[in-house]
Amino acid sequence: MELFEMTAASLSEKLRKKECSAVEITRSTLGQISNTEKQIGSFVTVCEERAMQKAEEVDRKIAAGETISPLAGIPIGVKDNICTKDVLTTCSSKMLYNFVPPYNATVVDRLEQADAVIIGKCNMDEYAMGSSCETSYFKKTKNPWNSEYVPGGSSGGSASSVSAGEAVLALGSDTGGSIRLPASYCGVVGLKPTYGSVSRYGLVAFASSLDQIGPLGRSVQDVATLYSTICGRDPMDATSAVREYGDFAGKMNRSVKGLRIGVPKEYFGDGVDPEIKTAVMSGIDLLVKEGAQTVPVSLPSTDYALSAYYIISSAEASSNLARFDGVKYGYRTEKYTNLLDLYEKTRSEGFGDEVKRRIMLGTFVLSSGFYDAYYKRAKQMQQKISAEYALAYSQCDVILTPTSPSTAFKIGERTDDPLKMYAADICTVTVNIAGLPAISVPCGIASNGLPIGLQMIGPKFSEQLLFDVAGCFENLCGGFGVAPAMKG
Amino acid sequence: MQVDILHIAKLARLSIEEEKMEKFQKEMENIVAMCEKMPLMEGDYTAVDPSHPMELRKDEVRPSLKREDVLKNAPQTQAGCVVVPKIVE
Amino acid sequence: MNYEMTIGLEVHAELNTATKIYCGCRNSFGAQVNSNCCPICTGMPGTLPTLNEKVVEYAVKMGHALHCKINPVSKQDRKNYFYPDLPKAYQISQFDIPLCEKGYLDVMVDEAGSIKRIGVTRIHIEEDAGKLLHDESFSGSLVDFNRCGVPLIEIVSEPDMHSSTEAKAYLETIKAILQYIDISDCKMQEGSIRCDINVSVCRPGEPMGTRCEMKNVNTFSGAVRAIEYEAKRQIEVLEAGGIIHQETRRWDDVKGENFLLRSKEDSHDYRYFPEPDLLTIVIEKEKIQRLKDELPELPNQKLKRYMEGYGLPYFDANLLTENPDKAAFFERCLEKENCKTKNVSNWILGDISRILNEKNLVLADTALTPEKLTNMIALIEKGTISVTAGKTVLEQIIFSDKTPEQVIQEKGLAQISDTGALEAIVKAVLDANPKSIADYKGGKTNVIGFLVGQCMRQSKGQGNPTVLKELIEKQMQDD
Ligand SMILES: [Mg+2]
Ligand SMILES: [Zn+2]
Repeated sequence: MELFEMTAASLSEKLRKKECSAVEITRSTLGQISNTEKQIGSFVTVCEERAMQKAEEVDRKIAAGETISPLAGIPIGVKDNICTKDVLTTCSSKMLYNFVPPYNATVVDRLEQADAVIIGKCNMDEYAMGSSCETSYFKKTKNPWNSEYVPGGSSGGSASSVSAGEAVLALGSDTGGSIRLPASYCGVVGLKPTYGSVSRYGLVAFASSLDQIGPLGRSVQDVATLYSTICGRDPMDATSAVREYGDFAGKMNRSVKGLRIGVPKEYFGDGVDPEIKTAVMSGIDLLVKEGAQTVPVSLPSTDYALSAYYIISSAEASSNLARFDGVKYGYRTEKYTNLLDLYEKTRSEGFGDEVKRRIMLGTFVLSSGFYDAYYKRAKQMQQKISAEYALAYSQCDVILTPTSPSTAFKIGERTDDPLKMYAADICTVTVNIAGLPAISVPCGIASNGLPIGLQMIGPKFSEQLLFDVAGCFENLCGGFGVAPAMKG
Repeated sequence: MQVDILHIAKLARLSIEEEKMEKFQKEMENIVAMCEKMPLMEGDYTAVDPSHPMELRKDEVRPSLKREDVLKNAPQTQAGCVVVPKIVE
Repeated sequence: MNYEMTIGLEVHAELNTATKIYCGCRNSFGAQVNSNCCPICTGMPGTLPTLNEKVVEYAVKMGHALHCKINPVSKQDRKNYFYPDLPKAYQISQFDIPLCEKGYLDVMVDEAGSIKRIGVTRIHIEEDAGKLLHDESFSGSLVDFNRCGVPLIEIVSEPDMHSSTEAKAYLETIKAILQYIDISDCKMQEGSIRCDINVSVCRPGEPMGTRCEMKNVNTFSGAVRAIEYEAKRQIEVLEAGGIIHQETRRWDDVKGENFLLRSKEDSHDYRYFPEPDLLTIVIEKEKIQRLKDELPELPNQKLKRYMEGYGLPYFDANLLTENPDKAAFFERCLEKENCKTKNVSNWILGDISRILNEKNLVLADTALTPEKLTNMIALIEKGTISVTAGKTVLEQIIFSDKTPEQVIQEKGLAQISDTGALEAIVKAVLDANPKSIADYKGGKTNVIGFLVGQCMRQSKGQGNPTVLKELIEKQMQDD
């Protein structure tokens, strides 16, 4: 097994035992990038030089006998909507094609403090708006399992880089499923943390009340390790929760004895591919055999979640994306006659159609006369959905559902119909609406040869429980590692 | 629901090309139609949540950016400032 | 035809906190362009606001000073609009739940001391925008972000004022209170207080007319002119058979006129919604009370006390209470209890204010102490020096460490009250003015003033005029 195929846990152990060097790990990963990147297109920017420098620094620390963090020397991809000082940060948009932030996101600071090696900036749907990674201004990322298929989105580059062995771990962001969906499509593990547990400072905002940065990796333990590194109170983010967090990976206990698994019937309806239902149900059976029990629960407002999600997220996006106007940073149109013309031309040329669509929807639902009928109603629906989850958690410990109603779709298949594209998110959006943590783990391969994801949803701040259950499931089901076609 | 797409685009400082107009109009109306399936809800909605009070920041000065870093991403600068087309009020 | 005008005011005051409202950048005026900026206040992608604790405290203090209900639970909202001085393209403000609501302010509107109560609708916190610089020689406009994120409170009044005089009294009282509770520098020339003015007119007894809003009023005298102008404009429209449309107008203080900025149809759709980057502001009961307890006596209360307690006329009381430092100095003078209240007031409002104005200084910039000033006044009251000599003494003690006594000594300013020394002068003056003696004896007693003046000249200003007058009268009667 090549170094780039290994998990962070085993690489870290090798480093500690001096069985390999950080430079070797980074070199191996960069080598894989140069072999596969033309085909997959996970990155907007590969940070070759910086990565090598960091790896050398880690090797010096090891040589000097310093204790190193579990992420030291581990190559990590960072989604391109997370600001990296002096490194291009584009949100995969023409609008930010040249933006070089003068500051680091808090999570990037924490990665650097942990001596992680930032290997590159991952491609994504433009401004994180999409489910397929096809709306990037720069390139369409391909699914490492089959390059005719999308990797899912919007953190498509993060998921594909991990699945292709182009990174050991990656950071994505999840507003309506953008970590979990590509994780399931690419057969990796992805966590959407509890809202407020990971700082959003430096994450280019899509929908502030729903966005959350989270880890993707090839094992539950790796994901737990990365989460332990990035979570925690940040005074720079007022919405960051004031509480203590432990070492999640260290405390993992992969037992499910006595666990009550809630199975909501709304997530196993007609819209879900039968093959996926079967895979998820047999996954649940595996856990039951280990001592868990199932409880039927109901989340009756699930049907309306997508509407509430699109209204709230678009409203916030319309405001968050208003700052991209050609004045302070990024793209500016070439010819303009006055200020209004500068604004309109810059924004019309700089944003892609999906972004424009959402900005307009958001503008509409907040505009005079429509606020109550749309925005307020969506916020009321949000409260209702949260209440339904609270009721469900009085009956169970964790809720299991499919991550997506289908496996990855073909590139171009859904680009002409936004509603069809949006449907990919029906299993994931309620989690963001309710601010809950959820993890997607691989649970089988469909007849088309593509991975299926199982989603585990917990109450707020129950990440430890999710790691325990997901870890147990991983032991039973095996997990996938690097996609078969990408192996060294 | 008819959506006055021209008005909305103007509010959002977007200009929609003639040939894409119809498509945008239709897509927007489809999305709005989906949203309208949401039932009307009882009970009032308040955006405040006193059970999660915000921690406030101490009034202590932190270093600002060097001006060159403030301006380094700006498309046009002059005399230490960002430049925009002449504003006539 | 008679018209009544109705005025409502929205006052924006910049708070004098150390840092900006949502970031740790310095809140200071006059720095080099774009030097007090960070990723947050310049609206860079990914940045988030964090609310300055002092801003909340200051706003609550102002709420208490204006007898408002303080909301222990409130929130912030986004007001969306595109403009180059607003880098995020939204202003974080407060929409439906401001920090303070439903207060009032009692202002003294005339010299007779009559009090007018003006309702305060709300006080909320928000961020200031940057500045656009225009240069004739340059084809574009320049943006300076230094002022972005400077904390503001917006104080919205009820439409309770009916003359420009009332509006001016309201504005001046607001300004004085801001200075008393020390939450704003109130430097008009730096734009740290600005107001938007709503004016409507109607015939007495009829319902309130349609209002027009005027933006961009930077001085109180400008506010008076703007109100008068707008009321006159509206009356002229009505008299000509027209109707008033609700609109926003821009006041140009140089031209002394306003012009249409935008009509109601073009009014902004700000698409307010709750700021998702900030959580609920919760202020504990104890803190609300503590901030109330910390309030000093306010200028409008002080004004009343000066008039009723010290028996000072409105003119004096109003000027003395105008700013807290002046009032405090005055009160420390009175604590010495060695001279008359009215004399202290006269000196502070007279020569001292003149000197300060000429040199553009405030009391704190000088070496004058209540001790030195009251000692000097006491010496005048005792007749040790003349009022004229007092002016010379003041010029010295205000800018040096010298005491009045030292100055009097050095300059030989003590009055000669010794009759022996003065008798010779009187004799010489009377000898030189036989015609005046004749006039006096003929009943023209007012020649005394002339004769005293002559004697003062002879004594080089040092003769005690009271003693001189007595001596002159005595000698002429003796003759
Ligand atoms: Mg305002
Ligand atoms: Zn700042």
